Amino acid sequence: MSLKDYEGIAEPGDLRAIERMASVLSGRKMLHVNSTAAGGGVAELLTRMVPLFKDIGLDVRWEVMQADRPFFEVTKNIHNSLQGRGRPLSREMWEEYARVNRENAERIDLDADFVVIHDPQPAMFIDHKKRGTWIWRCHIDISSPDRAAWHQLKDIVEKFDGSIFSVANFAQSLPIHQFLIQPTIDPLAEKNIHLEDEEVRGIYGRLGVPLDKPVLLQVSRFDPFKDPLGVIEAYKLAKKYHDCRLVLAGGTATDDPEGEKVLAEVEEKAAGDPDIHILLLPPFSDREVNALQRGADIVLQKSTREGFGLVVAEALWKKKPVIAGDAGGIPLQVIEGVTGFLVHSVEGTAYRIRQLLENPERAAKMGEAGREHIRRNFLTTRNIRNYLGIWTALERRDEKVIYI
Amino acid sequence: MAEERTFRFYECFALTTLTGRKAADILDLLDIMKNVSRESIFHHMHQYFLKPHAVEPEFPNDFAVWVSESLGEPLLAEALANVNPFEFAKIEDLRSELMRIIHEYLGNYPPPRPVLPGREFMFNEGITIVLPTSMESGPQLHDFLQKLREVDFSSIYFHFYEARLRLGRPTDDFSEYLSTSLNRPGIAARIKSLDPYMYSTEVLRDKIAALIEEAL
Repeated sequence: MSLKDYEGIAEPGDLRAIERMASVLSGRKMLHVNSTAAGGGVAELLTRMVPLFKDIGLDVRWEVMQADRPFFEVTKNIHNSLQGRGRPLSREMWEEYARVNRENAERIDLDADFVVIHDPQPAMFIDHKKRGTWIWRCHIDISSPDRAAWHQLKDIVEKFDGSIFSVANFAQSLPIHQFLIQPTIDPLAEKNIHLEDEEVRGIYGRLGVPLDKPVLLQVSRFDPFKDPLGVIEAYKLAKKYHDCRLVLAGGTATDDPEGEKVLAEVEEKAAGDPDIHILLLPPFSDREVNALQRGADIVLQKSTREGFGLVVAEALWKKKPVIAGDAGGIPLQVIEGVTGFLVHSVEGTAYRIRQLLENPERAAKMGEAGREHIRRNFLTTRNIRNYLGIWTALERRDEKVIYI
Repeated sequence: MAEERTFRFYECFALTTLTGRKAADILDLLDIMKNVSRESIFHHMHQYFLKPHAVEPEFPNDFAVWVSESLGEPLLAEALANVNPFEFAKIEDLRSELMRIIHEYLGNYPPPRPVLPGREFMFNEGITIVLPTSMESGPQLHDFLQKLREVDFSSIYFHFYEARLRLGRPTDDFSEYLSTSLNRPGIAARIKSLDPYMYSTEVLRDKIAALIEEAL
């Protein structure tokens, strides 16, 4: 994977900026630390970005924490608490958190010029800093945390040189530099790479979804905040006017009791309608998701609560108009009436579905605008550019206008 | 001498930094505006010009857009939109003008209701990273036009908008170069007279290119 592969896709100005900054930073050491090697958005992001950092001449490493189940139970609780829905964390839990952090920090070579610590799991590595510029990259919404958990973590995070959040609204007030980097998608990843129509049709066939009428698609976990029941209701309202199919594609929910419950409710509500397709995709079904998005006429993301919601960017990249809940990072991607519609109710969703099915030319125009919006703002090269910019800015922190 | 007759294009981009301060209603906005950093006022009055737009926002500054879209107060939004930041040599004067408009509004109308959670105005700041490009135009006007069309839109921001702040006077790098290095005072004057506040960088590039084409 090389930066050159993005020529003709990404903004040329971004590529020039990356090359220029990389020529200054060439040979210097960058280190990323997170808690999982595969699965989850952060690992997906690093899988794509680390080879690019290497390609532009940085001495980059990606280290993953080694930990067992008790640690991940604690950090899952910290994660939930920071989003305002955790259980109280005991002193023993914080001690377990500190112990695993200490052991990992002693095991991993932390010598680097720029260290990026992703999310709360390895945040206590900061206590083992020897040199370099350290930044805490927070990928989650911590705007309404449980106070006790945040109070504890804040003491840790304040020791960093800076922090990065995905959306301004997701952040907390901190006495260190706080940067904004919106997450991005990789146009060359399996999930987004161009597929021929024949392959798209083949995957639809294999998944048992005929392409004989317009397809509405929502790709999401079976989670109440993604409102799959509301999606079915909206589809039923719209179907009175336009014959169409609904595809709800999500992961298997065997380890998630709440997901199993939602899935059962979804299956019950969909029962008896052969035009509703509930697809339980195994992990690493990126190519299938890609094909589903490409074959759909309208993509839905009717979230009532959302993180950044990059699945919206994926659909827009494939020239699909998106009807989505006005939550989290979605309004940054769905520009009302231009790349799709923001909705607040089942009725609103049904109305917008009808509007777009009635007017395929408008839907196509929105799809074109959506792809361009993503191309200009949400491709992985933008993320690379911003990381290099932040590294530079933190090394020259008295300057507001920095000449490279 | 040859060097003086070349024009080196720079590009730039902004990193957004968060202040952690947010306003849920107009009184909050006014209160924070009173003592938020100069960089923050500058950022919210200029960032429109350094961002690519899928669609042109209704108004070219963040305060007016928020008051219009989130507070739903078109009258106040229009008054804030009419403030041209390029007319103010000092940010403090710009801050005072914005606050005067809000005070005047509050003297005549009841304050609008607060926005829903998640719709607050977030006070941010920006750090600008400036990058020289290898794109240089020689002493020929058509060469300059070709490069102007090739550079990133951020280059138009840097040479046309940012130049006003850098040079401390109502001019820009393009008209300075065309006038002094290429001896084309006529086109220079026409470019200089373009109202920077009325155009996004993409549209402005087309306007400048059209003026040069006309001259060619």
